[in-house]
Amino acid sequence: MTHATQTLDQMRPPFPAETGSGVYSKKLGMWVFLASDVMFFTALIGSYIILRFGMSTPWAKPGAVLNVPLTGVNTFLLICSSVAMVKAYAAIADGKKYFLRKVPGKTLQDGGLKFWLLVTILCGAAFVSIQVVEYIKLIGEGFTPAGYREGSLLAEHAAADPIKYGLGVAGMYGSTFFTMTGFHGFHVTCGVISMLYLYFTKVLPEKYSPQDYAGIEIIGLYWHFVDLVWIILFTIVYLI
Amino acid sequence: MTTPTTTHVRPNYMLIWLYLFVMTIAEVLLAFELPVSRNLKLILLLILALWKAMLVALFFMHLKFERWRLRIIFIVPLPLAAILITAAIMEKVF
Amino acid sequence: MTHVAHAKPGAHGGGDAHHAPMSFWQKYIFSTDHKIIGIQFLFVSLFFLLVGGLLAMQIRWQLGFPGKPMPGGSILPQTMAPGGVILPEYYIQLVTMHGTFMVFFAIMPLLVGVYANFLIPLKIGAHDMAFPRINMWSFWLALLAGLIMFAGFFVPDGAPRAGWTMYAPLSARPDLSGVGVAQKLWSVSIVVLGLSSVMGSVNYITTVINHRAPGMTWFRIPLSVWALFITAILGVLALPVLQGAAIMLLFDQSLGTHFFDPVAGGQALLWQHLFWFFGHPEVYILILPAMGMVSEIIANGSRKPIFGYHSMVFAIIGIAFLGWIVWGHHMFMSGMNPTLGSTFMVSTLLIAVPSAIKVFNWMGTMWRGNLRFHVPMLNAVGFVSMFTIGGLSGIFMAATPVDIPLHDTQFIVAHIHYVLFGGSLFALFGAITFWYPKMFGRMMSEPLGKVHFWLTFITYNMTFFPMHIIGMGGQMRRIYDPTIYDFLKPQQPLNVFISYSAFALFAVQLLFAFNFLWSLKFGKKAPQNPWDDNGLEWSLPNPAPHGNWEKTPNVYRGPYEFSSPEAEARGTDFLPQSLKLPTDHDPLPAPLPATH
Repeated sequence: MTHATQTLDQMRPPFPAETGSGVYSKKLGMWVFLASDVMFFTALIGSYIILRFGMSTPWAKPGAVLNVPLTGVNTFLLICSSVAMVKAYAAIADGKKYFLRKVPGKTLQDGGLKFWLLVTILCGAAFVSIQVVEYIKLIGEGFTPAGYREGSLLAEHAAADPIKYGLGVAGMYGSTFFTMTGFHGFHVTCGVISMLYLYFTKVLPEKYSPQDYAGIEIIGLYWHFVDLVWIILFTIVYLI
Repeated sequence: MTTPTTTHVRPNYMLIWLYLFVMTIAEVLLAFELPVSRNLKLILLLILALWKAMLVALFFMHLKFERWRLRIIFIVPLPLAAILITAAIMEKVF
Repeated sequence: MTHVAHAKPGAHGGGDAHHAPMSFWQKYIFSTDHKIIGIQFLFVSLFFLLVGGLLAMQIRWQLGFPGKPMPGGSILPQTMAPGGVILPEYYIQLVTMHGTFMVFFAIMPLLVGVYANFLIPLKIGAHDMAFPRINMWSFWLALLAGLIMFAGFFVPDGAPRAGWTMYAPLSARPDLSGVGVAQKLWSVSIVVLGLSSVMGSVNYITTVINHRAPGMTWFRIPLSVWALFITAILGVLALPVLQGAAIMLLFDQSLGTHFFDPVAGGQALLWQHLFWFFGHPEVYILILPAMGMVSEIIANGSRKPIFGYHSMVFAIIGIAFLGWIVWGHHMFMSGMNPTLGSTFMVSTLLIAVPSAIKVFNWMGTMWRGNLRFHVPMLNAVGFVSMFTIGGLSGIFMAATPVDIPLHDTQFIVAHIHYVLFGGSLFALFGAITFWYPKMFGRMMSEPLGKVHFWLTFITYNMTFFPMHIIGMGGQMRRIYDPTIYDFLKPQQPLNVFISYSAFALFAVQLLFAFNFLWSLKFGKKAPQNPWDDNGLEWSLPNPAPHGNWEKTPNVYRGPYEFSSPEAEARGTDFLPQSLKLPTDHDPLPAPLPATH
C-alpha cells in the first residue's frame, strides 16, 4: 500500500460507513463529553447565579476576601497554557515532533510538539499549585465552604465592615466559591495528568505524526474547554 | 484515528492570545477602577467574558472551521442552561 | 482500532478469526464486547429489580396491614422491625430505596445499559461500539454505584429516608432525616452512576452517528435505535445536572455548605429545580427505549411496516425536546412562582401530543395486520394499553388546578407505576423474550411466557388501578399508616385488596424468573431468525459471535419491509435489511471525512 492510500484508509472510521458526523469517532466522542461537562458546570455555576440573585443582602465586594491580582496572574497562566496547547496541536499537524529547532533566518528557535506540550503542562500545573496555595491561605484566614470561621481574622474584618464582606451571605459565598473553583481545579488536574500520561507514553517516543495526532487534538479540546470555563468563572466569581 | 489535514488558513494563535490578555486586563480594570454604575459594570464584564470564551471556542477549539454538525453539539446545552437558570431565578422575583 | 476482518473458512465460529484466544476473564468478566456488557447489565439489573420488588412487598404489607408483624420479618434487624413490625423509620427507608433502586438500578440500566449496548451495534451493522473499553468501564462503574447504594442498608441509621427525590433540606440535614452515612453514600453512588451513564451515552451517540453500515441512512435506522440514540442525548445532558446537585448535597452534609438550607441563606427550591430539571428528562429516558423496542415488536407481530415511521421519529425527537421544559409540573405544590406554574402546565399538556401520535401509530400498525400474538407481541400490546392509561392520568396532573389536590397522593403513585411498570416493564418483558435468542442462542418457553403475561396483566391492574381511586380519596404518598386518618379509614379495604394483588403480582414474576433462568440451559435451541424479523441482527447466528460480522453488511432497505410486494414475490412476508435482491444496487461507501 502506498503512503497516500494508507493515509486515506486511516482517515476512515474503522470500516466503510455512512458519512455520519464527518469527523473521526474519538473527536466526536470528546465533543459530546464536553457538552455533558457544560451541563455539569451549569448545575454548579447556575446554582451560584440563582443563589446570589436570590439573596436579599449583597455579596461581599470583589477583592475583599479573594486575592484578585494573584488570580489574575493565574488566569494569565491558564490562557498561556491554552495557547501553548493549540501551538502544540499546530506543531504536530505540521510534523514538528521535536523539542526546539533552530530555523535559519529566525532569531527565536522554533518549538515542536514536545516543547509546546511541556509548556502547557507546566502552566497547567502552575495554575493548580497556585490555586492550592490560594485555598490554603483563604482557609487559614478563615474563609471556608461554610462561611467565615468563628474567631478567624476574616470574621473580625467582616464584623467590623459587614457590607464590604457581605457578612449576611458569607455562608453562600463560601459554599459556591469552593464548589465551583474546586471542581474546575479538579478538571484542570485531570487534564494535567492526562497530558503527562500522553507526554511520556506517546509524545517523547515520537509516536504522533501528522497522519495521526488524534490524542493531541482531543486533549486539546478538553483543555480549551477547561480554560473557557475558567474565563467565565474568573469574571463572575472574582470580578463581580 | 487520524485528523484530516487542514485546508483553511491557520489563525494567528499568538494574536488571539494577545486579545485574551488585553481583554483580561480590561476586565480587571473595569471591575476595580472605572467609576461606572454597578449594573453597567455587570453587563460589560459579562460581555467581555463571553467574548473571550467565544474566541477560545472559535479559534483554539477550531469551531469556526468545523461544520455545523459539530458546532451544534456544543451549542445545544447552552439554551438548556439558560432555561434552568432563568426559571429558577424567577423564584426571587416572586 | 481497525477491524479488517478476513474470512477464514473452517476457522473458529464466525468472527473470532482475527482475535487471539481470550481467557475466561477477558471473554466474560472484563469483556469489551458490547453484547457481553449488555448481558452483564441484564443480570445485575434483574438482581436490582428483585431487590426493588422485595422492598415493595414490605411497603404493601405495611400499607395493607399497618402495624401487624410481617411474615418473615424476624430476619430484619430489631432496630428496624422489632418482632417483624415495620417501624416508621424503616418504612420510609423502604419507600425511598424502592424508588431509588427501581429508577436508577433496575429500569434505567435494563432499558439503556442492556439494550443500547446490545442492540445498537447489531442493528446498525457495526462490529462493536465506538469505544469498547469505555463501555466496559461504564458497566463496572454502574455496578459499583449499585453496590454503594445497597451498602446504605447496612450502615448505622440505615438507608436514606427522604424519598427517591431526596428533597433538601430534609436530605441535607442528618438532624432532620435521621440519616448520616447512607445519605453521603447516596450522593457518591449517584455521581458514580452519572459517570457511568455519561460514558455509555457518549458511546451510543458516537456509534450511531459514525458507525452505521453502508446504506444505513438516518431514515433506515430501526426505531429502537432512534429511541436509544435520542435517549442517550437526554442522558448526556441531564445526568450531569443531577451529579452537580448530588455533589452540592454531599457538601451540605460534610463540608458545612448551605446550598439548600434556607436558614443559612440557601434555597430549598434550588434542589427541586435542579433535581427535576434532571428528573423529567430522566423519565423520558425510562420510556423512550421501551417505546422504540415496542415499535420493533409490534411491526414484527403485525407483519406490517410501522405506521408513520417518519412521524414516529419526529415524535421521539419532539418528546425529548419538550421534555426539557416541563420539569416544573413536579413542583406545582412547592410554592414556586405561579407564573412558572402556568408555563409548565402548557408545555406539559403539549407533550401529550407526540406521545399520542405514537400510540395511534402503533394502533395503525396493528390495524388489519396479519397478527401474530407471540409473547413479545402480547407484552408490547400490553405496553400500549397500559402506557395509554398512564398517559391519560398524566393529562389530569398536567392541569395545575387538578394537580393541587392530587399532588403527593396515591394517584401520582398510580401514574408512575402505569408508565414505569405498565409501560417500561411490560416492554422489557417483551424485549427480553424477543432478543433472548440473540443473546443466549435459545428460546424462552412460549407457553410459560403467555401464562406469565396474562397473570401479570391481571394482577398488575388489580394492584395499581385502585391506587387512582384511593389517591383521589386523599391517601397521601409515603405515609406510614393510612388508618390514623378518619377520612382514609373507609378506603382501607381497597388498600388490603391492593396489597393482596401486589403479593400475587410478585409471585407471578417468579414464573418469568424461572422461564429466564431455566431457558438458559434447557430452552429450545433458537433458529437464526425465530421471529421472521428484518433487523440486521437476525442475519447473524444465535448467539451472535464476537465482532458480529466478518464483513460489514450492506443495507438495501428500511427496517419494516413486512408483507411488501417484493417479499410476497419471494414467498415470505418479510425482507431483511441486508438481503440483496437482484434489483438492488450496492450502496456506495461513504466519502472520506471532509477536510476543514
